[in-house]
Amino acid sequence: MRMMCTAKKCGIRFQPPAIVLIYENEIKGKSRQRIMPVRNFSKFSDCNRAAEQLKNNPRHKSYLEQVPLRQLEKLFSVLRGNLWGQSLAETMEQIQRERTIDPEEDLNKLDDKELAKRKSIMDELFEKNQKKKDDPNFVYDIEVEFPQDEQLQSCGWDTESADEF
Amino acid sequence: MAGDKAKPCELDQEKYDAEDNVKIICLGDSAVGKSKYVERPGLMERFLMDGFQPQQLSTYALTLYKHTATVDGRTVLVDFWDTAGQERFQSMHASYYHKAHACIMVFDVQRKITYKNLSTWYTELREFRPEIPCIVVANKIDADIKMTQKSFNFARKLSLPMYFVSAADGTNVVKLFNDAIRLAVSYKQNSQDFMDEILQELANFDLEQKEEALPDREQRGSSRAHLAPESGEESRSAALP
Repeated sequence: MRMMCTAKKCGIRFQPPAIVLIYENEIKGKSRQRIMPVRNFSKFSDCNRAAEQLKNNPRHKSYLEQVPLRQLEKLFSVLRGNLWGQSLAETMEQIQRERTIDPEEDLNKLDDKELAKRKSIMDELFEKNQKKKDDPNFVYDIEVEFPQDEQLQSCGWDTESADEF
Repeated sequence: MAGDKAKPCELDQEKYDAEDNVKIICLGDSAVGKSKYVERPGLMERFLMDGFQPQQLSTYALTLYKHTATVDGRTVLVDFWDTAGQERFQSMHASYYHKAHACIMVFDVQRKITYKNLSTWYTELREFRPEIPCIVVANKIDADIKMTQKSFNFARKLSLPMYFVSAADGTNVVKLFNDAIRLAVSYKQNSQDFMDEILQELANFDLEQKEEALPDREQRGSSRAHLAPESGEESRSAALP
């Protein structure tokens, strides 16, 4: 029988390294804890791959179904930062930096893999803000006026010269 | 995909001369949200919802979205042309612009570079289609709503209409496309593009000559406007001035 569980919280333990999941067993409605040891992970490991491996691990798979891959990847990044001797604040800042799009970067010039990485960063925000058509309050045609009068502040992207944009 | 297989090497652009047909092209950098990326819908999908099957024409690196609209009680068949990675070369094949009746030019309000590159896109557009209506689209306003209170000189200086939209939450997407269709139709009705006239003249001239020389090969003339990627010369001659 397939086990049904509702993920509540997911975190990381540094020593010994493990991903810890707090979940609710639907049959009993009681909080439980699952400790999933992290093996073969060094400060040089790829966090995305580690997250994928754990998520697809046959023993943990059904428990981690509701935990987004992104969150697991982030937890592995926190662990890796710890292995490098960084403070939590430093690691969080680094994660934030890595997950931010450089507005000056020309994505037309990237290869497929790098472009896919940038797109996945943008997807995260898209999904957060997305109104899907099966949402109960979905409206197909939404019109909002944004008047462009003279009082507006410049976007800051236009050059000063009168001939250029 | 199926359409691609049925017509493997030609794309009929002659139909855009028919009264009830319009062609609208999309321009802009990679990842500005023009159309679908893996599972994330773009502006195109947000407008068309489920009622479509886009055609992937991989030979041309483009995606074709067919749509039926009603403008002033008349049925209009709209083909939206979208790039499929071709924009990475910062330039589109001439046939992409050929016979287009309107252009939707998109940038991402979170990425300055996509705004700066609008001028490159615009220059290329005007090289091929000096007169067609062009709409500037500021996409992803859900990511930074403050950008809607800023002024953007690019659109203002060229007196182009500008729309603030979000493919994610749907803001102004339907309005954008409906207005683009309306502009395309009115362009088609009211202005005969100078380039079109010249090309038409050239095509007729060509046809007459060919008929004289090869009276048994009448098909030649009508295949002129089709695109054959294998014979690059022919497709270029159809669209280049």
